[in-house]
Amino acid sequence: MIKDPVCGMEVEPSSAFATREHMGQTFYFCSQNCVDQFDADPHKYAMAGSSTTGYNPDLPLARIELPIVGLKKNDRAQALEGVLQSMPGVRAAKINVGSRTALVEYDAPAVTIDALSKAVKLAGYRVGGAQTRIGIADLHCASCVKFIEDGLKATPGVIDATVNIGTQEATIDYLPEKTSLPQLRSAIEEVGYQTRSAASDEPEDKQRAEHEREYRRLMNKFWLAAAISIPVLIAAYPKFLPIIRDWPMETLRLAWGVSALLTLPVLFYSGGHFFSGAWAALKHRSANMNTLVALGTVAAWLYSTIAILFPSIFPEGTSEPFYDVVAVVIALVVLGQALELRAKGRTSEAIKKLMGLQAKTARVIRSGQEIDIPVEEVLAGDIVLVRPGEKVPVDGLIIEGSSAVDESMLTGESLPVSKKSGDEVIGATLNKTGAFKFRATKVGKDTALAQIVKMVQDAQNSKAPIARLADTVSGYFVPIVMILAVITFVVWFDFGPQPPLVFALVTSVTVLIIACPCALGLATPMSLMVGIGKGAENGILIRSGEALQTAHQIKTVVLDKTGTITKGKPELTDVVVVGEWQENDLLRLAASVERSSEHPLAEAIVEGGKARQLNLVEPSAFEAVPGHGVIATVEGRRVVLGNLKMMQRESSALGNLEAKAAQLADDGKTPMYVAIDGHAAGIVAVADTVKEDSAEAIAALHKMGIEVVMITGDNQRTANAIARQVGVDRVLAEVLPEDKAHNVHLLQAEGKKVAMVGDGINDAPALAQADVGLAIGTGTDVAIEASDITLIKGSLKGVVTAIEVSRATMRNIKQNLVGAFIYNALGVPVAMGVLYPFFGILLSPLLAGAAMAFSSVTVVSNANRLRTFKPRFSAK
Amino acid sequence: MTPAQIVVTIAGLALSLFIAWFFWFAPKAKTQAAVSASGAQEVAVTVKGGYTPDLIVVKAGRPVRLRFTRQESSACSEMVLFPDFNQSAKLPEGEEVSVEFTPDKPGEYGFQCMMGMLRGKLIVE
Repeated sequence: MIKDPVCGMEVEPSSAFATREHMGQTFYFCSQNCVDQFDADPHKYAMAGSSTTGYNPDLPLARIELPIVGLKKNDRAQALEGVLQSMPGVRAAKINVGSRTALVEYDAPAVTIDALSKAVKLAGYRVGGAQTRIGIADLHCASCVKFIEDGLKATPGVIDATVNIGTQEATIDYLPEKTSLPQLRSAIEEVGYQTRSAASDEPEDKQRAEHEREYRRLMNKFWLAAAISIPVLIAAYPKFLPIIRDWPMETLRLAWGVSALLTLPVLFYSGGHFFSGAWAALKHRSANMNTLVALGTVAAWLYSTIAILFPSIFPEGTSEPFYDVVAVVIALVVLGQALELRAKGRTSEAIKKLMGLQAKTARVIRSGQEIDIPVEEVLAGDIVLVRPGEKVPVDGLIIEGSSAVDESMLTGESLPVSKKSGDEVIGATLNKTGAFKFRATKVGKDTALAQIVKMVQDAQNSKAPIARLADTVSGYFVPIVMILAVITFVVWFDFGPQPPLVFALVTSVTVLIIACPCALGLATPMSLMVGIGKGAENGILIRSGEALQTAHQIKTVVLDKTGTITKGKPELTDVVVVGEWQENDLLRLAASVERSSEHPLAEAIVEGGKARQLNLVEPSAFEAVPGHGVIATVEGRRVVLGNLKMMQRESSALGNLEAKAAQLADDGKTPMYVAIDGHAAGIVAVADTVKEDSAEAIAALHKMGIEVVMITGDNQRTANAIARQVGVDRVLAEVLPEDKAHNVHLLQAEGKKVAMVGDGINDAPALAQADVGLAIGTGTDVAIEASDITLIKGSLKGVVTAIEVSRATMRNIKQNLVGAFIYNALGVPVAMGVLYPFFGILLSPLLAGAAMAFSSVTVVSNANRLRTFKPRFSAK
Repeated sequence: MTPAQIVVTIAGLALSLFIAWFFWFAPKAKTQAAVSASGAQEVAVTVKGGYTPDLIVVKAGRPVRLRFTRQESSACSEMVLFPDFNQSAKLPEGEEVSVEFTPDKPGEYGFQCMMGMLRGKLIVE
């Protein structure tokens, strides 16, 4: 069955009333009315009701790339291929294990995506795809859920759909190449419901809204408790206030009674969450901060109430109430929680900044027309147009035009990067000068930006090993504090001054209130959140808290030469001439010859010639002599390029060129002799040149007390030449790629924490062997598996910044942990009254409440201090 | 010592012992994960002042799907972390969020909220 694009009715293709061809797609209709409507504006219905695919709409067969979930690298794909191929209507199925996709060609009406999805499921895998949520207005009947779900599932391209009546939202798994949001919306509207945008697709926004609500709730609770605290305080300390101090005992007792009643709403409204939290924890046989606050305040309230109701059962002078403790402590702790929430919101600012970079709309070209669509609907394969001053919406490859693109927001590279046809552009970067068209390659959650956001979020929520101690301690903390409170009570009751009951109660309540397990628990995660976010702002993606922690202990940095210290691509460096030859003439002939060669060195010479704006010509009679060089005829001259052996073969006299060549080779360059018409005419030399800022970055590492080692498969001579230029301490040359990891291991055996910096592909084993592996990623390739840290900008300065971020964050975490430990280690004994026998100092429970409330605020604020961190090589 | 002091001392000692037993030594109820049709071991966990259930027993080498639903507004529990599996999830209030991973090695793995106030344990057999 297939859908009529106009009315949405299901039609059997064989018995359809009429058919129409549009944009290479066949549409089937149920009635004349629908055909007429379609004919009036076929584009409208074709776009809304059919596949707005970015993939070859002209193909007669439907062709689809299905992402397969659960496919492993070494899985045998034949089984799945077989299952798909055996389906009637499927012409071909090819599984690509590497990209985890199945390319299926099928007859569109006979086979549905749903059927393909089921077949994949039978083979033990699952079809992946995009997921979206659409809000549904006024959805009340549970039975309608099924109608909407069925309507959605019948839409081409939908893999699965579920409707949640609680959230009034439909969650749809679909293939973005086969359907679009308007189409999904119209599927719901066809069932008779209005759609709206889902609450928010961004968990960040949702969290922000939740925080805002929770903050207001806490502040309401605070204001109530604060307002009630004032009369309660007045009644509690009558001797400090005129008029009231003259009240007779009966009036005072009445005022206390009123306090008892007034503090009830404070307990049950303002402090309600402490009690529900404590009770819930108790049911799990666990205890937390809620338990402590609830116990402390309820003990104070109960004692006070019994004291004023039955003063006679208490010894003389002990029947005084402590309602002020109840009201003030709850007010302060609630205020502390509200402030903490506020400060916490700021710690995730980096993520919000990153997500705010995303462009909202994209201008794509579909069937020859430019249309503006929301960025979520851009499909891989779409042609996207970007004008000067606009943001690049998704990742892709330029197919037409050129421009300079500001990539600083993602890479930290401050200069705009020039882009031409064939170059990669990254979503969320800013197009500066020219207009260009590009083909979208990665959209939605596959874009570099989306992956960066995901990586940073995961890392922010990971644990640093240093947090383990705090976690272990806080696991035992609360019951220990409870036991300490009991012991305090007993000791003061048995040995304390008169009246013992009052002292025992006040001290034990103070102990319960001052202890702050929150400060311990918050210390690491808050700083980690800010620190990892700070790294991301500077183009450094730290994969986990563990990587961040290890990075601050790094003593040795091993740098791969090619592509890390150097640009990784040979460039023309020198042209040497003899006799009457001019540099440019020689280079023009040499470069013209090399146009026919595919060797990377040849490419460097051609590029060098183009850079000098020489007019290169097509060579004739081109011949490559393996192990020697190349020969060709250019403008009637016989030009020979090659090594010494080539020159000997040609028996060209070299004169002093041989010495020049040796000198160039000493500098790490590759010299090539040029002979013209049988006479040696000069040398062109190419070399993999050092990146502009490598030396500066290595100097900065030295200043930080870090040893820098260079590792390379090149010969000692070339390696030494590069090492001299950038100033590394040690050179490990002629290391086979497979031995790099072993060399890292040898350095580790010297007892140092070793970081390895490489390109993430060839260096994967060495990156994994190192204590911290830093991969230099360029462009959209950000999620490099083997690395602990990815430097998005291809510069060594990132290594410096990464270590700086790690050191600053670890310093902050240590401050927090030490602060939190010291606070509790001092606060609890003082509250127990250890200072009393010596100095007569006893902590007021009110003061304890204030201290407890602000200790966790302090921890979060200190973490926020990290936001002002500025790296040595600032990106902006 | 007065009789009152003796009573308070004995009661205090008893209470301390009870606290220690109650929180640390009393046996806790374990919940065995059910195996769903898709072969994953599934458990629904309610987040409200704690994780219910908070002791979850699963088999090693099989995917585990824990469906968390947070039924409170307190910001403490807005995230759940599985540090040993490098997994974490935001838990919007009232929404079911699944955390999926496959534990390979038997052992006891803790899960917790961000500050470690709420804790649970995954026992892999």
